[in-house]
Amino acid sequence: MAAPMELSCWGGDWGLPSLHPESLTVMAYAKFSGAPLTVNTINNSWRVPKGDVPVLISEDIVISQPAKILNFLRKQKYNADYELSAKQGADTLAYIALLEEKLLPALLHTFWVEAENYSSVTKPWFASRIAFPLSLYLPGKMSREALNRILLTRGGPPLYSLAEVEAQIYRDAKECLNLLSKRLGTSQFFFGDMPTTLDAFVFGFLAPIYKVCFPRVQLQEHLKQLPNLCRFCDDILTFYFRLTVSGHSPAGQDTADANLRKLTQLVNKESNLIEKMDDNLRKSPQHPPRKLTTLKLAAGGEASSPLNRLSP
Amino acid sequence: MEVRMKGRPGEPGLARQQLCVCGEQLSAQASAAEPWPENAELYQQLKEEQILLSDNASSLAVQAFLQMCNLPIRVVCRANAEYMSPSGKVPFIHVGNQVVSELGPIVQFVKAKGHSLSDGLDEVQKAEMKAYMELVNNMLLTAELYLQWCDDVTVEEITHPRYGSPYPWPLNRILSYQKQWEVRRKMKAIGWAGKTLDQVLEDVDQCCQALSQRLGTQPYFFNKHPTELDALVFGHLFTILTTQLITDALSEKVKNYSNLTAFCRRIEQQYFEGQDKDGSAAVAARSAKRSLLR
Repeated sequence: MAAPMELSCWGGDWGLPSLHPESLTVMAYAKFSGAPLTVNTINNSWRVPKGDVPVLISEDIVISQPAKILNFLRKQKYNADYELSAKQGADTLAYIALLEEKLLPALLHTFWVEAENYSSVTKPWFASRIAFPLSLYLPGKMSREALNRILLTRGGPPLYSLAEVEAQIYRDAKECLNLLSKRLGTSQFFFGDMPTTLDAFVFGFLAPIYKVCFPRVQLQEHLKQLPNLCRFCDDILTFYFRLTVSGHSPAGQDTADANLRKLTQLVNKESNLIEKMDDNLRKSPQHPPRKLTTLKLAAGGEASSPLNRLSP
Repeated sequence: MEVRMKGRPGEPGLARQQLCVCGEQLSAQASAAEPWPENAELYQQLKEEQILLSDNASSLAVQAFLQMCNLPIRVVCRANAEYMSPSGKVPFIHVGNQVVSELGPIVQFVKAKGHSLSDGLDEVQKAEMKAYMELVNNMLLTAELYLQWCDDVTVEEITHPRYGSPYPWPLNRILSYQKQWEVRRKMKAIGWAGKTLDQVLEDVDQCCQALSQRLGTQPYFFNKHPTELDALVFGHLFTILTTQLITDALSEKVKNYSNLTAFCRRIEQQYFEGQDKDGSAAVAARSAKRSLLR
């Protein structure tokens, strides 16, 4: 069994496990690949981790940035992309670039630059999770960094005023959402019926837009007109985070969940054992953790009826 | 002279040298509906002593795109091209009485005139094409900028001498440092400032691997017909392959993927050769090809 892994990240609200796109991406990937992460949400303490959140700590290794954390998890054999072809792996990289170039600026703007959203939602929410004197400073710093990034990457001639830059980044973001919606089509996840790295990234970027209640909701309005993307977010929240739309799971489902968790743990132990034996026998560098996920889903079908309707 | 020539990108057979059709009066208001004129011009910096890797890549991408659309363009080299451009970036094209800069807007502009390479694609393919174009911008272009403005040896030996070449001292230093400061701020904002050169080369490798996987054995990214993605990839990879830098590390990364070098050669032969009347350009093209074949 590998060393225990701890993830420090921003917590959630509005029915989300985290409000922070990068944190959410890592959390989703961990769920998809079955990596046992202990999640520590940052909560009003002085134990703010060094480096950029989210941070993964495993023994004395400290890793930040989602892409690097995901690479680390893959090396620990928690690989959600096991069944992807080389071309699908390439597509993953390309769509992540699309998200970063086209959607991220508008997402940052909605959270950190749009004055009304920032002062009534983002700033109080983050400040309440940071210890006192820093809470006065960090949100402002994050806001300035976001604005700086937007202006440096998207600003410059011929867009001279902030209003012009804003119009452009929201146009780009809406186009990006449309492209994602067309790419997803009617399938459950981006590459068939199993979630992969790309799904983790798309979910990380979309879920905050979809769920957080801001006074100004340009992007949310647009996203809500794309039912397949909304369904995609809802599915991941219910399947993998066991969060219903209201954010609370009903009591009945809790017991079912507890049973399911026990079962999953058992299955995990078993397959870890099998994996070890396999490794020793075949010295194969990678073993499909996919098996693990399918087992989990099958077990879910037996253990709890509410999950039945959700299984693909 | 040797140092001057360092960093000079190779060029494919020069885009056709079109003579201005004299006597033809252009209407004052060139509207979208107007056909493509014979005297359209593309502006970039001086080829021999000034233009940098990233600008040459962008310029070549636009030239390839226009060639693929079968639209004639004359390449004009100006030392102050960067300052003439409406967006501050090269290349830009001057068509009728309109000026458009950078590949994205140029593709839109050309489309409004009724020429498009991506009309045959379905919606999913269009999404895929845009995603890969962002991959090239996000990784290859950023890596080129990193190399030429953040790698200290390259900055000293190639970037500053070339970038400041048209200007007298001290203006050459001032403008170079100003540009360097601007690019480094941008790198910091996107989190690239902390990267080492090896990490950047690793990113380039990852990007090339993705492009190579996506291309596979097809002639173009979307099988039989070229799209703007092909033009963009060609512009960047061809420039990387044919530009002599301090080390060969960057071009070696691309050369590892034989289908990508074959792809560059194919587009060069199809769209840039045979229209060439200029002897020196032909030599450049041949030497460029040699470096491709090596």
